[in-house]
Amino acid sequence: MARGVMLMSGGIDSPVALHYLLRQGHDLLAVHMDNRPFTDDTPLEKVVDHLTVLRERYHQPIPLYVVPHGSTQVTLMRNTERHVGCVLCRRFMWRSAERIAERENGTFLATGEALGQVASQTLSNMRQATASVRLPIVRPLIGFDKHEIERVAKEIGTYGISTRPGVCCQAVPDRPATRSNLLQILREEEKVDVDGIIDDCVRRAVQL
Amino acid sequence: MYRTLHLCSNRGGFEAVPDPPRPLDLPEARRRLTAADVEFVDARVMLIATLEVEVTIGQSGRLLFKTPDLALAERSFARLRGLLDLPASPEDARLPSEGVPDPGRR
Repeated sequence: MARGVMLMSGGIDSPVALHYLLRQGHDLLAVHMDNRPFTDDTPLEKVVDHLTVLRERYHQPIPLYVVPHGSTQVTLMRNTERHVGCVLCRRFMWRSAERIAERENGTFLATGEALGQVASQTLSNMRQATASVRLPIVRPLIGFDKHEIERVAKEIGTYGISTRPGVCCQAVPDRPATRSNLLQILREEEKVDVDGIIDDCVRRAVQL
Repeated sequence: MYRTLHLCSNRGGFEAVPDPPRPLDLPEARRRLTAADVEFVDARVMLIATLEVEVTIGQSGRLLFKTPDLALAERSFARLRGLLDLPASPEDARLPSEGVPDPGRR
């Protein structure tokens, strides 16, 4: 089976997506984009606990990489248009995850995205985010609705962890764009040193 | 003026918002925090200051205290109000720490 990199946020969806891929027998490692100081410590704590549950269930080591992402958010907020912030943020996350995948001989990226759940998960925004990487992105939950995902999360024992209190991402703009075009996104990215930012984040990534 | 602290939607922190809405002068807030030697991250549209707890200071005037501990959040709120000269809430007049209540007041 293939080796892939799963983006883990600490939310309800990503451990469920990981569960489906592990169930199929894929070899996964996890990447958490650490968004502090725009969140608190709880997303990372939740990811660690999600992985403990899934490691026990599937008897797989599932290594975890924690990639600092807060400094990237600061750079984006200072230099780019706020309303496309979620799409830009997502593109930088994918790029970091792809670098980790390349380093670890991964052949695909995976996420818990489900169509239309939040602003970054419209078809238009997903398309622009996906265009930042070459590796295929697997989305096991793409057609699931919220209730189905919650039901599975309860079954596998990750729901209670995901719903613990925590501070949600403070970098989300007041009015995030639900439609974006690639030209607009590329123009925004010209305002920052994309390669330099990714080099720095991946260099500072730690394995837990 | 600011409403008193209430739990944020994800229950991980306490927030205070100006009521009626009133944007905050972020350049002035930057200047005041720097003068008081408070460590903060400047993300242009918001500041994230490290007081007793970490506080997100938004352009809209919304303050988010990243702690589930109300007492800690209140102490940081009081300090931040002093630092940024934020308008007090009506409830403040009833707090013993804010001075002796006016006996003629009902």
